[in-house]
Parts: sequence; C-alpha cells; structure tokens
Amino acid sequence: MNGEGTMVVGCKEIAELAPLYLSAELDRARSAAFDAHLKSCPACMQELERQAHLDARLREGIMAETLDAVNFDRRVRERIAAEAGKGYWLPLSGLRGRRWALAAVGIGAVLLVVAAGYRGLLGPHVARVYADAALDHRREVIEQQPRHWLVDPAQIAALAETRGVAGSAPLALAGNGYHLERGRLCFLDGRIFLHLVYSNGAAEVSVYLRERGAESLPGRVRETENGRNLRASNPGDEHVASFQTDRLTVVVVTDQPADAALQMARFAATRL
Amino acid sequence: MGQAGVLRRMPASFSRERNRTTVIGRQNEFEKVAMPHSRSMLRVARRLTFDPATAEDLVQETLLRAWRNFDQFEAGTNARAWLFRILFNAFYAQGRKVRSAPVLVPLQMPGRETEPQSRADHTLLEGAMVTRALDELSAEHRTVLLLAVVEGFTCREMADILSLPIGTVMSRLSRARQALRERIEPASPALHRVRAGGE
Repeated sequence: MNGEGTMVVGCKEIAELAPLYLSAELDRARSAAFDAHLKSCPACMQELERQAHLDARLREGIMAETLDAVNFDRRVRERIAAEAGKGYWLPLSGLRGRRWALAAVGIGAVLLVVAAGYRGLLGPHVARVYADAALDHRREVIEQQPRHWLVDPAQIAALAETRGVAGSAPLALAGNGYHLERGRLCFLDGRIFLHLVYSNGAAEVSVYLRERGAESLPGRVRETENGRNLRASNPGDEHVASFQTDRLTVVVVTDQPADAALQMARFAATRL
Repeated sequence: MGQAGVLRRMPASFSRERNRTTVIGRQNEFEKVAMPHSRSMLRVARRLTFDPATAEDLVQETLLRAWRNFDQFEAGTNARAWLFRILFNAFYAQGRKVRSAPVLVPLQMPGRETEPQSRADHTLLEGAMVTRALDELSAEHRTVLLLAVVEGFTCREMADILSLPIGTVMSRLSRARQALRERIEPASPALHRVRAGGE
C-alpha cells in the first residue's frame, strides 16, 4: 500500500500475478494496482501483450484442427443407452422416500451376500471387463468402425512394450491357424489393454493383453492349461475366455461358437 | 392417503415404468449437461495421448464414468470442470507411458526455404508451429496451457481439476508460457519477416 491507501505492485508481482490477471481472477483492488503498474511500466506492458498474443496464436492453432465429435458422440450415446437398458444405473434418488431407499439398500446387501457366496462368479465390478471386451470386439472387429490400427508387427511389438507386455507376445500368439492382423490400445473397465486381432481367413479373434496388476479375473474356472486357470463367460452374443499368468492378464473374445474362445485361450496359455 | 400408502399399492408394472422414466429423465439431463463438452475433452485428450483413437477411448471412459456417477453431480455447479476432473483422474489412472511425444517432421526441410506467400499460408504455418511447440512441452506444461489458454479455465478451476494448490498452478502456467515462447520465437524469423512486410 502507498501513503494514500492504494495497493502498489512492482514488476516482480506483475510476473507472479500475470496468470490471474489474464484469466480475470484478480480482485478489484489488485486488478486496479496491476493496471496502474502497466500504465507506468512499458516493459511489463510489452511483456503482457506478447503473452496475450502468444495465447491467441495457441488458441487459434488448436481450434483450427478438425475433430469428428458427431460420430464419437453417437457411439457414447449408444454405450450409455446400453448401460441404462441393462439397469446398470438405477439411482436411489429415483425412489422417493426413506423406506424405499432402505429397502433398496437391504436388497442390495442380500444380493451382495448371494454373489459373494457364489464362489466369486461374475462380481459386478470385474465382470465389466468381460462386458467391455465383448462390446469392444463387436464395435471394432465385427462392425469394423473406423479406427487407427497398427498392422506392422514391429510397431505392434513396440506398442506392446510401452504397456509392459513383452514385444514378442503378439507374434507368439500367432499360430494354430491364426495370424496376427492388427493391434491398438483400448480401455476395458477403465484400464488400458493392448487389443490384438488374429484371423484365420474366415473368422477373427480378439486378444486383450495387459500387464498384470492387483486385479483378479471373475468367473468359474473351466479348465487348467499349462498351470493357468482358464475362465469363460458369455456376456452377450460374444464368447469370452480369460486367464492370468504371473505377468499378464489375458482376455480372449470371439463371436464364433463358444469353444473358439476357449481354444484360443488354451493356445495362448501355452505360449505366454 | 399418504404417498407411502400409494406406493405400497402400486403394481409392479407401475414401479418398472417409474424407474424407466427416471432413467430416461437422467439420460436427457446428462445429454444437456455433459455431452456438449465432449468436443473440448477430445481436443485436450488428443494432446495428452498423441493418438486420436486412444484419446477417444479416454473421453468415452470419462463420459461413462460421469454417467455412472451422475447422481453425485450437483445440478447448477460447474459441469465442465467436473468432467475434466474425471478425465484427468482416468488419464492418470492409466499410467504415464502413453504421453511420449510423437516423432515430429520439421516444417522447413533443410535446403528448402518455405516462405509463406499469403495471409492464409501464414496463419496455417503459424498455427502448425505453435501446436508443434506445444507438443514438445512436458505433459504438465501442456496440460495447464490447454486448460487455461484453449479451454478457458481459471486458475482456481484448474487447481480443482488437477488437485493442485493454486500457487502451483500459477507458477506452472507461467513456466509453461515461457517454455512455449522459447520454442516459438527463435524459430520464427520467416513469420516476423511476413509481419514486418505488411503481409
């Protein structure tokens, strides 16, 4: 403050407060002091003008880039509609009254106990991995929605290594009549997986790989291959098989007869 | 008769219809509140992941998480900041390996002077240069510049979105602007010549 009770700021404060000034977040007193300093300090004024000019160039550069948000929005709406249709999301706020809320909580608790007692089969959180994998396979492989895929095995190997998966793994799974066709990254249940597509010329199989974390896979163990417990699930029209090694989580999806997914999982269990 | 009595006597089909109506109402609300921000999120996600498909997956995951937790959103509060907070949580939850910058091709090839000829050329070249410089910055600097300069968030909103103290956001933003300028200004003599020549 100066002798007249007016706030005074120097060049150092100008530099510190510039982000708040440019985003119009300074309070009235500090904003007035900021303006007063700029009027009396050409160097600070020039510096701020250059900064504002650079901001404008950056904004224009980014905004000039094209984005296909229309198709993206449509796909998101389909996902949301699918979840809403399954009754995945039925908020308690939709049921007015404390009794209804208590009843819903009670029913939920009973369902949890039943689910826990059902040998861990299809836990609601982890089972979403299978549902997401089935949906991703349908969208990316069956419906062939336009996506950027890597087809060069060397590039796919490099991509695998960025996700903690051995670069040799994608090609190791080729064989048994199938060849590696393409690969990309995707999200299943909020986690990044490497999505690999294998083809035998007539059918395509998706294999999702991820460096194993703390997650465990749901579902009943159907059989054991090479010491790995193979699980199977049918979340929709697709068939899913899965297993884990010490280092990897593996999910196989196919729209072929149920045994095709297990067959590929058996083969993968011997190669990973 | 009280409301509880009416509900007790309500047939099961009424209850199902009521739930269905509730879900549709929520979908409509979500459409109004969240979906208009998908483009902004895609723009930012692209520059975080450097891969359009991965960016789309990240934003889709963000919107699905938002949908699943939509009952926690307070109507009338800042939906955009809420969505971006979810986006960054999802992004950080995936680890940081996907954020390495792509291989960049120089705009001016050695031995070939590409002098911009018109205002349109100049604008295109300038935009490409500045976005390329942005891509060369660290993820932290890129993030605050995108949120502040391109998406127009205030420092307080960014502090909330990124779960950082506001002082950290301010200093990071200042350093990010400085770093961007250092990358652009020494490399733009052609642009300065065009501007000085009256374009």
